[in-house]
Parts: sequence; structure tokens; C-alpha cells
Amino acid sequence: MNNQVNTASTVLPYIYAGIFIVLVWQSVVSFTNAHVTLLPPPLLTAQTFFKLIVSGELFVHISASLGRVISAWLLSSLVAIPLGLAMGRWKRFEQFLDPVVELFRPISPLAWIPLAILWFGIGETGKIFIIFIATFFPILLNTISGVKSVDPVLVRAGQVLGCNNDWALFTKVILPAAMPTIIVGLRISFGTGWAAIIAAELVAAQVGLGYLISDGMEILRSDLVLVGMVTIGILGVMIDAVFQFLNNKFA
Amino acid sequence: MNDMTPEVMNTKGISIKEIAVTFNQGSPSEVEALRPVNLEFEPGEFIALVGPSGCGKSTLLNVLAGFTTPTSGTAYVGNEPIIKPDIDHGMVFQDYALFPWLNIIDNVAFGLEQLGVKKSERYEIARENLKMVGLEDFAEKRINELSGGMKQRAAIARVFATNPSVILMDEPFGALDALTRRFLQHQLLEIWQKNKKTVVFVTHSVQEAIYLASRVIVMTARPGRIKLDKNIDLPYPREFTSDEFRDYEKLVYDQLDEELAKTFKLEGGGGFHE
Repeated sequence: MNNQVNTASTVLPYIYAGIFIVLVWQSVVSFTNAHVTLLPPPLLTAQTFFKLIVSGELFVHISASLGRVISAWLLSSLVAIPLGLAMGRWKRFEQFLDPVVELFRPISPLAWIPLAILWFGIGETGKIFIIFIATFFPILLNTISGVKSVDPVLVRAGQVLGCNNDWALFTKVILPAAMPTIIVGLRISFGTGWAAIIAAELVAAQVGLGYLISDGMEILRSDLVLVGMVTIGILGVMIDAVFQFLNNKFA
Repeated sequence: MNDMTPEVMNTKGISIKEIAVTFNQGSPSEVEALRPVNLEFEPGEFIALVGPSGCGKSTLLNVLAGFTTPTSGTAYVGNEPIIKPDIDHGMVFQDYALFPWLNIIDNVAFGLEQLGVKKSERYEIARENLKMVGLEDFAEKRINELSGGMKQRAAIARVFATNPSVILMDEPFGALDALTRRFLQHQLLEIWQKNKKTVVFVTHSVQEAIYLASRVIVMTARPGRIKLDKNIDLPYPREFTSDEFRDYEKLVYDQLDEELAKTFKLEGGGGFHE
């Protein structure tokens, strides 16, 4: 009972938002009399959407995009978390690396596309590389701040409870204490990675939601472009809900 | 009742020999926190360190815990010099310092795990200690499900679980409301009377010090020195309202007031006592 109420109260606002967007969309189409290639009406877009679902084509694009984001994101965590832990723990190391990080951080993942093509060609590697860049900094910065903001009293408690060396203190106290902040970083970075998928798939993809969008533009099928955009939006919300759920369950 | 006491009694005295602490030595912000201090605590004594803020009582406690390295002098637990934090010098912190990612029983069993006690045995010991503080029904709860008083009882169970030879307490009841505080003082006394560990208890409540301690040490502010070192020869449980209790209170307050008057004059606050 309680669960149903909770689900309803989280899902309902999105349904209202959806209705609102469709209404605005439809009225813009009606008032401006926009050509179907410029702005297709919601109904046509919905038809295309269901056609792509029935044919299974949409799921091929979704799984390609999700697969790229997940693998790049995992790869990024594998590098950024240990690096962040080290930077948070050793001040010297952080002082040395922080300017490097700060110089790279403002560079948009999009700016890396030309080099990604030159270095990795047009295969999967280039796309993974772009999303890797997009997901790397949120994870790194959250990990660093997670380690640095561990309550010193907890560290002292660990010391008087038998964590005699740095390693024991680190694995038994600092890492678990920093975990909630690290998880926030993982969640944020999945979001930035998901937002960067279009950019990554502009690197000459054959499949993926980004490909669906850019291909739709090339063949003047705006309904395909919109289906790609809508799918990205809905999946983004769903992925975030999964993270929320995991967060509530474990933190 | 007997199964609540640790199987092996472990208690040691503390020797403080010429301990002095100066922070930021040699820099313009140099602070002399503690003048050379000499003290001997017998095994099983309950020592209360009382004094105004900045009197170095917490500094002294941090030296005993091994968190602060003294500028000169050495402190010993038994015959062992204190050089770093050690599980044999247990500590209870004002803000509990429980690990929020562990449930209550895993918090209590944490030190035992570091000591290499095997799982079934450490849970058994942890359960005994939770029973001692009346939290046996809360073993599986998470930290944020507990009230402040319950958290501190869990922290007390955690420190007793590893059977340290001395227990250091840094204003452990400072953040609690008056009634909870009274209950925990009572509970702590019961536990201490059973296992007679050496306790060093920092507080700024004179009443709390005299209610709990077998010996009260009053410290002076900036730089910290010993102003009064007095055994409290009253049987437990003590009555706040008894004449003897009041006499001890007056004695301690008189010493403190002298100090406070000096501090206020130094700070330009004018007379405090006269």
C-alpha cells in the first residue's frame, strides 16, 4: 500500500510533465503551421516511436548507446576512483596533480571528438573515449572530496580501535566513510556520460540513439530525431531512478 | 550478572612524567597548551579532569590517547610509553564517533575484528557488551535509528568490548540532555564498579566530576597546569544534595572561580568573583 503511494507520487509528476510538454508542442505545431520536416506533431512522433518499438529497432539503438555509456563509465570509475582516493589521501600527490586536472576539466568532451577520430578511428574505441572523458571528472572530484571530508573523529576512532597502519585505516574507515560521496559522483557522471552519448555517436556511428538522431536529420525525418530525443530523456530519468533506489537501499 | 564482566580483568595505571605541549612551536602563533605536568593514576582510579575551556584538559587526554605527541616528557600506561594510538587505550568521544556504515553490533565488534577475534566469538562478546548497556534489542539497528543517549551507550559498549586497560572519555555526555546524562552517568558508574578500569574523564561539569570520579583534578587556563588534585572520599552512589557533596563542589568551584577571575581580567572583562 505504502509502496504504491510512493510509486504514484514519484511517477505522477512525470506524467503531468509529459502531458504539459505534449500540449505545448501540439499548440506550437497548430499555431505556426510548421512543416512536418521542421516540427512533426506529437501524434506522428508517437506513431514512429511505437513502430520502432514493434520492429525492435529502438531497442537495438538503446542497447548500443547504453552499452557504450556503461562500459566507458565503468572504465572511468576504474581509473578515477583509485586516483581520487590517492589524491584525497596524499596531499603532495594532490598538489602535484590538481593543476593538471583543473586545466583539463573545462575542456568539453566535444572538443575531444577530432582527436578521438584521429587516434582511434571511427570504431567503438573513439566513442568510449569521449564518454570516458565526460564521466571521468565528476567521479574523480567526488572521490577526492569524499576522502578529504571524512570526519577526523572517525579516523581517530579507527586508530584507537586497532587500525594500526595506514592500509587498515584506509580500508576499514576512510573508504567506507567516503563511499556515499563516491556514489554521488558515480551517479552524476552517469548523467554526464548519458548526455555526451550523442556527441560520441556523432563520431560516425552505425547504431545508437545518437546515430538515430543524426541519421534522422540527414534524411529529413524530424520524427526520428524527436523519437531519439524523447528516448534519451525518458531513459535518463529511469537510470537516475535506479541510482536513487540503490542509494536508498545501501546508504 | 556475572557473565557481563570480562573474563580477564585488565586495568593499568597511568604515569604522566613532565608532559608539556606547545602548539606551533617557534612560529608567531605559538600556544603553550600545557606546562610540564606530573601525575600518577593508580590502576582502577576514576579520574575527572575539570577546567575552563583552553585549560589543556583535552590536550592532556589527546596525549594519553596517542593523538598528540607531547613537546617534552613521556606518558606511560603501565610500563609502556604512549607513542601512538593503541587499542589498549580505549576512547569515548563527545560526538560518539560510531561508524554510520555499520549497524550497532558491527560497531561494537569493530575493535575485536582488528584484534583478529574470530567472528562467532566477537559477536558473542559484542552482544554481552550491548547487554551491559541495555541495547541488546538494538543490535541490528543502524546508527541513525538511535537517539544521542543510545549512540553513546553503543560507543561505551564498543570501548569495553576490546577490554582495554585504560579508558579515556572526552566530555562523553556533553551533547546529551540533562535526564539522559544522569541515566548514562549512573550506568557508567555501575559498569566501572564492576570491572574497575582506569578511567580518565574530561568534563567541564563540576557536579558530574564529583558524582563520578574517585579523584578530581582541576586544571588552570592558558597555559594548562594542575590547580587542585583531590580524592573524593564519598561512597557510591552519591547524592547531589548531600552536605558532603556540596562541600566538595564548593571546594572545586572556589579553585575554578579564582582561575576564571584571572582569565576574565586578562581578557579585559573586569571582576568576576569580587
